[in-house]
Amino acid sequence: MSEPILQMQNISKHFGLTVALDHVDLTVYPGEIRGLIGENGSGKSTISSIAAGMQPATEGTMKFKGRDWAPKSMTDALEHGIGMVVQERGTIGGVSIAENIFLGNIDQFSTAGFVNRRKMNQAAKEILSLVGMENIDPALPTTVLDLQDRKLVEIAKVIARKPDIFVVDETTTALSQTGRQKIYDLMKEQKKQNKSVLFISHDLDELMEVCDTLTVLRDGNLIKSLTKEEFDEEEIKQLMVGRELKGDYYRSDYDGSYDKEVVLKIENGNFGEELKDLTLELHKGEILGVGGLSSCGMHTLGKALFGAVPLQSGRVTAGGQTITSEKTAMQHKIGYVSKDRDTEALNMDASILDNISIAGLDKIAKHGVITKKNERNLVKEQISSLSVKCREPKQAVSELSGGNKQKVVFGKWIGCDSEILILDCPTRGVDIGVKQAMYQLIYRMKKEGKSILIISEELAELIGMSDRLVIMKDGAISGEVTRSESLNESAVIGYMI
Amino acid sequence: MKKKINLKSKVVEIVSLVALAILAVTYLVMMGDRLSPYMLQTLLNQTIITAVVSTGAVFIYTTGAFDISLGSAVAVSAISGAMVYNKTESLFLMFLTMIAVGLLIELIDSALAAFLNLPVFVTTIAMLSVLSALVKIMIASGGGAKIEVPRAVVKTLDSVGLKVLILVVFIGLCIFIYNYTALGRREKFLGGNPICAKLTGISVKKLSILAFLIAGVGVGLAAFLTVVRAPTITTSTASSIGMDVIIAIVFGGMPASGGARSKISAALVGSVSMVLLSQIMVILNFSAGISQCVKSILFLAVVTLSGLKGRKAMLTR
Repeated sequence: MSEPILQMQNISKHFGLTVALDHVDLTVYPGEIRGLIGENGSGKSTISSIAAGMQPATEGTMKFKGRDWAPKSMTDALEHGIGMVVQERGTIGGVSIAENIFLGNIDQFSTAGFVNRRKMNQAAKEILSLVGMENIDPALPTTVLDLQDRKLVEIAKVIARKPDIFVVDETTTALSQTGRQKIYDLMKEQKKQNKSVLFISHDLDELMEVCDTLTVLRDGNLIKSLTKEEFDEEEIKQLMVGRELKGDYYRSDYDGSYDKEVVLKIENGNFGEELKDLTLELHKGEILGVGGLSSCGMHTLGKALFGAVPLQSGRVTAGGQTITSEKTAMQHKIGYVSKDRDTEALNMDASILDNISIAGLDKIAKHGVITKKNERNLVKEQISSLSVKCREPKQAVSELSGGNKQKVVFGKWIGCDSEILILDCPTRGVDIGVKQAMYQLIYRMKKEGKSILIISEELAELIGMSDRLVIMKDGAISGEVTRSESLNESAVIGYMI
Repeated sequence: MKKKINLKSKVVEIVSLVALAILAVTYLVMMGDRLSPYMLQTLLNQTIITAVVSTGAVFIYTTGAFDISLGSAVAVSAISGAMVYNKTESLFLMFLTMIAVGLLIELIDSALAAFLNLPVFVTTIAMLSVLSALVKIMIASGGGAKIEVPRAVVKTLDSVGLKVLILVVFIGLCIFIYNYTALGRREKFLGGNPICAKLTGISVKKLSILAFLIAGVGVGLAAFLTVVRAPTITTSTASSIGMDVIIAIVFGGMPASGGARSKISAALVGSVSMVLLSQIMVILNFSAGISQCVKSILFLAVVTLSGLKGRKAMLTR
């Protein structure tokens, strides 16, 4: 075996009293795609971010290409050969796509203090072509891009610097299948050039497919490293959670029945290319899945049903009343969990308490007055029933892991007694244990008579949970299937493409 | 890194209180034997007006917006009230007029921004210009360089007790709204993330207008207190309040970006600090220009320091 390109020894990282990493060793070899897997908060992002210069270790040593390694910043690390695409948003909205790509390096296009934008945009276009975005105008502001395209810009920005180690932190959760394929191709190309990849994902299937080796972390400790030959799905799951996952993952019944009562309806809804004369009904006690390619319009449908997208024609109704805004939707006990959690579903500036109670303020107010006791009771109930891992309700929500953040979002809507929940990619970026808990919660809500609409790019999730599954293509419904034991992905994919 | 940020964050949290303590001790030491009840009353008079306007303005700052026209709004409210008194000789109508004009100005300011989809700072800049011109026009309409309410009429109201009562009641009411009603809690949430707030059923426009209206009440009260203290109104009346309020709120520990960490107490802490600082500079014989420069430098220093809190840890686990 060749010499390692990266050796991390005895790495510890402390955040106050919290031990995020506890004396972990990690070695990466040239030409290796190493996967890192573990539950939320296991330390996989922490260790890779230390290697990529995002933060220093509290303890331990690193060697990169045989030399001591202590990058001062992510830019420094990228310049010397380790580039990372982070899980959270990594682009700046107010500037152009090209400026985002060359952030910190714009001087290379300057002459006498004036930036040659034509030259910069041309260079950006070449970089964008690396991820199949050659048709995007790099002069446009980054805000015109959706979550997936913004992520691809970040990937292009890193890969253009030809890093020796390409670190991908839960990036694929933001990508559709096409986007994922692009990133897999980039990883394979990296391997072909005898360069390395550190790949963090919650998707065990893709890790097992793409990676040569897999390192399992739990609670800041290295549990085991496995080679491709040793990959075993059940064993890896057990190593991750430290116990056997008991109970069902998805729901186990094939009874797709629900009440006849229509609780939410869109009739002949039109919104540009994203919704074309679309009609859909959600029934009481129904789990309705909506699937399709990322750009099929399903995310816009979710927003439209919540009154957040003004339809050009058609209407959304709940209980016979027209939904014209988010407020009217909430008055009809509709809750909406956005795909873009950190930007649209949570106030990262605020505490867990603020984020959960905000939707239920009218419920807990007595004669218009909100008492601390009522508010704490509401929030503690949600923290307890959803098992949110936190120090206290006043802890900043930004300090939580992805899965726990998502639980807070769920708590916000459950806490205000929502009867209809629109869940857009509800398990995006959450680990297998939290996913299972969420599926069980969704099923429990159905049994309580609540109505749930799940929008997802994961067909297995939709098939596993839905009573009825509609597939969208180009802003319209292209197919519909009902729950049955024989239903499989290939039966659904045909409607998508 | 996170540890360092937490430490800096804690420093920022208490820096406004430490600064207030340092200014208070410095003032007391410099005054020495010269400190008299009259001097304390002067301090109080100056503090209360700035504190009342600042307290109302905290609601605007909480939403992430700001209003630089508050000083001119106080002047227009004061002149309007004085004119009504001179016509009706009713102090009650004078007071009501001041509150109504304060509300009207802030309503126009915020409604223009809301319905024309303009950034609030654009409308407040326009409003500053309009109100400044209006002050001159209204004073000139009286045929002289000033508008007066007879001193004897307001003399009975010029008591420390009444002024403190107005301040305490207003601050108490604002603290209640801010922390114990859905309105206040939503204002804070809106400041932290307007997109998330909208997707949680919060009407951004409605809440912005309500924040300005609460500030409008503060403007009206400050106009009343201004006339009670100095019943002769000229074009320079309340002219420095706009800038003083901005500096005081930030100096008092309010995040420049608003949001969840906003607090009403910033208005009081900042206002007292600003008045103490002004007095110290008077004792040091600083000219008005130099004093303004010192305040501006302090403002920049505080905003820079408070910016540390905004630098979130890049990793959330």
